[in-house]
Amino acid sequence: MNGFLRAAAVARKDLLMEWRGRQTITATGMVALLMILLLGFVLGSEPGRAAAVLWVALGFAAIVGIPRITQSEVEQQALETLLLYPGSREHLYWGKGAALLLMLSALLVALLLLLGVLFSVDVWTHGGALLGVGMLGIVGLSAIGTLLAALVLHVRGRELLMPLLLLPLALPVVLGCVRLTEAILAGTTSAPWLLVLVVFDLVYLLVCPILFEVVMDEA
Amino acid sequence: MKAQTTLGAAAVFLLAAAAYTSLFASPPDAFQGEYVRIMYAHVPNAWVAYLAFAITFVASVLYVWKRRPDYDHIAHSATELGVLFTGLALATGSIWGRPVWGTWWTWDARLVTTAMLFLIYSGALLVRGLSDDPQRGARLAAVIGVIGFLDVPVIHYSVVWFRTLHQPASIAPGSLKIAPPMLLALMLSLLAFTVLFAYLLRLRARLAWLEAGGEP
Repeated sequence: MNGFLRAAAVARKDLLMEWRGRQTITATGMVALLMILLLGFVLGSEPGRAAAVLWVALGFAAIVGIPRITQSEVEQQALETLLLYPGSREHLYWGKGAALLLMLSALLVALLLLLGVLFSVDVWTHGGALLGVGMLGIVGLSAIGTLLAALVLHVRGRELLMPLLLLPLALPVVLGCVRLTEAILAGTTSAPWLLVLVVFDLVYLLVCPILFEVVMDEA
Repeated sequence: MKAQTTLGAAAVFLLAAAAYTSLFASPPDAFQGEYVRIMYAHVPNAWVAYLAFAITFVASVLYVWKRRPDYDHIAHSATELGVLFTGLALATGSIWGRPVWGTWWTWDARLVTTAMLFLIYSGALLVRGLSDDPQRGARLAAVIGVIGFLDVPVIHYSVVWFRTLHQPASIAPGSLKIAPPMLLALMLSLLAFTVLFAYLLRLRARLAWLEAGGEP
């Protein structure tokens, strides 16, 4: 069985479990919705605020959602079994990362539509660009999030550690996406920030799978 | 132990010399007046903090690769010292910023990212402390030591792209924007803090080694 099929099997398993329970997507969706409503109400819903509100909401939703992608293995004590399957553990990373990527992308689409309604920004004319930039950000979030989800597994107080680790590490993603989303909504673009996002994504996609094997090493 | 004592004595001597040079022997700045003297404490703190995180990075990579406990002792010690000196750099920067910029804090990219480094490495120390066994804790902290350091280039380039209140670096290759006596004071302070850091690092790494049982 080659690596791609192994990763696809892990992703399929995670997505199937999510489809049957729909716990993660409900939890992250509710958090994101609450953040958008709260920030929109507190700050005022001028279109200029939309980009910042969107990415703060997505960031907080990611904090809630990311630990859940390894939670089920711990609850069912299936992690050892998963690790015992022959082949490289890197494929587990790619499978779990792909499942996380799909869930966060679905959330991004829903939130963009919501933003169009609540903040009266024109998401339709710039739809493609907004999704493209959003996906760059979500690739970065998923790349580092999958590693952190595995990292906090055997640590006490992991609900505390996830925000402490994810938000500072993913800060370039959030900042870059806010600036780029603002630029797109204003009808321009910002090459340096695009470069920040692409470099961040490439670096962490390269490094995190290797470190994932270190984290999952059952010593 | 003798080398350690010598290093400690050298640190004390250099710190005294640096304090004298930066407080009395160097002139006040044309624009900042006496406030410029805070620089001789702020810049070495920041330098040592980055040096500590660079050492953490190298030691973490080596630990992940070779799995020898000495590398972890160095990484652990360097992380702790790095967090301490980052905190000091943020505090002295704040004290300097108040009279010179007129504000304790500004949302400049370099300030924000230094604060983020402070949080990331505090997180690494927390992960190590809260982990269910010390070996796993060492491994997880090493992973954060690696990914945390990859954030440092973002700091550097964000300064270039943001162009906010933070003054451009005073010592850039090819162009010197600082008077020679002030440069001497700054260099002496940098040297003194680096020797102090080496002394503390050796001391802390030895403590980590003793805590782990002291096997050679």
